[in-house]
Amino acid sequence: MTTANRLVVTTRTAVRTRALGRRLAKLLHPGDVVLLQGPLGAGKTTLAQGIATGLRVAGPVRSPTFVLLTQHEGTALTLYHADLYRLDDPEAVADLALEEQARDGVLLVEWPERGLAALPATHLLVVLEPAPAADTDANARRLTFVAVGARYRHILDGLHAAGLADHT
Amino acid sequence: MTTILAIESSCDETAAAVVVDGRRMVSNVVASQIELHAVTGGIVPEVAARQHLRAVVPVVRQALTDASMTWDGIDAIAATAGPGLSGALVVGLNAARGLAFARGLPFIPTDHIEGHVCANWLGDGDEPPLPALALVVSGGHTELLLMHEDGRFTRLGGTRDDAAGEAFDKVARLLGLGYPGGPPVSRLAASAGKHRVRLPRAWLRGTDDWSFSGLKSAVQRMVAEPGAPPQALIADAFEESVADVLATKTARAAEREDVRCVLLAGGVAANARVRSRLRERCGVLGIPVFIPPPELCTDNAAMIAAAAFRHLGSAVAATDALDVYPTLAPRMRVGITR
Repeated sequence: MTTANRLVVTTRTAVRTRALGRRLAKLLHPGDVVLLQGPLGAGKTTLAQGIATGLRVAGPVRSPTFVLLTQHEGTALTLYHADLYRLDDPEAVADLALEEQARDGVLLVEWPERGLAALPATHLLVVLEPAPAADTDANARRLTFVAVGARYRHILDGLHAAGLADHT
Repeated sequence: MTTILAIESSCDETAAAVVVDGRRMVSNVVASQIELHAVTGGIVPEVAARQHLRAVVPVVRQALTDASMTWDGIDAIAATAGPGLSGALVVGLNAARGLAFARGLPFIPTDHIEGHVCANWLGDGDEPPLPALALVVSGGHTELLLMHEDGRFTRLGGTRDDAAGEAFDKVARLLGLGYPGGPPVSRLAASAGKHRVRLPRAWLRGTDDWSFSGLKSAVQRMVAEPGAPPQALIADAFEESVADVLATKTARAAEREDVRCVLLAGGVAANARVRSRLRERCGVLGIPVFIPPPELCTDNAAMIAAAAFRHLGSAVAATDALDVYPTLAPRMRVGITR
């Protein structure tokens, strides 16, 4: 397999972003960490909803901005959905003990840039942004997957094998 | 006469209160609102368990002092068991259990959302008649609950993405305003004058659900447009859109469920436009609307005592096995299940 550490996928609608989340979920195992980075309205929670559906955990999955962390239990594993938007102090992020709490499940973190130092060093980073301006569709998004660590390159290989990457 | 001391620590606030018979508030202490400098070294509780830990004993002491009471006057102890942040919840819950054990008092684990609803029972106004429809709108929650005559709850719907209060906070950020976003967005909207622009509403027909994520994105696009309308008009259109969908859908559900009143609760209940739209929509249907005073809309412990009073019969021993529950749905809940 290739060991690319970067992969780009464009989705045209929120429904497609959710579907991509479901596909990604099939490649995730307990202990995996996925960071969702992007501006307000980029589709982070939408992607998280797709991942939750794919992991077959209890919903509804909503934006955890205020509550900071929500847990969604499933038969196989628990989804931990964190949102660091309100935090600006890496120490406050460390106090959430996300890695420790999420050992038995998949950890999704929105707004990870608020406390990268307190998050696991190896992870799958997903950068979401509105698709390039030439595209008139307001809901089109470009998702750039960046693997940090061998485990996450393996996940990217899986996404590649599923034929999800944009043709370049 | 039953006097309950309650502790709330589900998210940012560490709070304690003493309430008689679920209605008469004799003290209500919220850590971020009092001077704890001498005791905590000036740290205001935020998210961390250890910050709740620092504050919990001082706020409980303050609640007793403000009530001019000793432990002998307390008949039961309550604490929020969920939903909330696990690490924060365990501090208040276990402090309360420890106190209950030490004093030999019954312990009542209580639901945070039910607490918000029961804030409508605090004070000496008319008691809300049941069955009622409750709309809990805050930074973390947007929930529509049917409260039956026996006090049980059925969840009818809620937000599918962002909570209403969160939408205010994020739109405030988009408009370059401060946090929390509710008050500055309202102030800016009030300066809009006679002109109006319109933002979309997600009606999600056939459901009792809301969605505010698309509205947030619509604000974002409007702000970025060349020749964007003045920010005051955008703030006004945003606030109107939120208030309209909340009020219209709640009134419709209230009519359908044939309830005797609507109970508004949570931090967003302090928003003047949400209050007035809800009163208008329910007024034409002849359904009264109850709204707690602003200081009881945000997180506090008096509301937890008010909810706990309704569950006196299901108090447990402090030594019973008990755990916090972090998430609202769909597992069975204290209060929302019994």
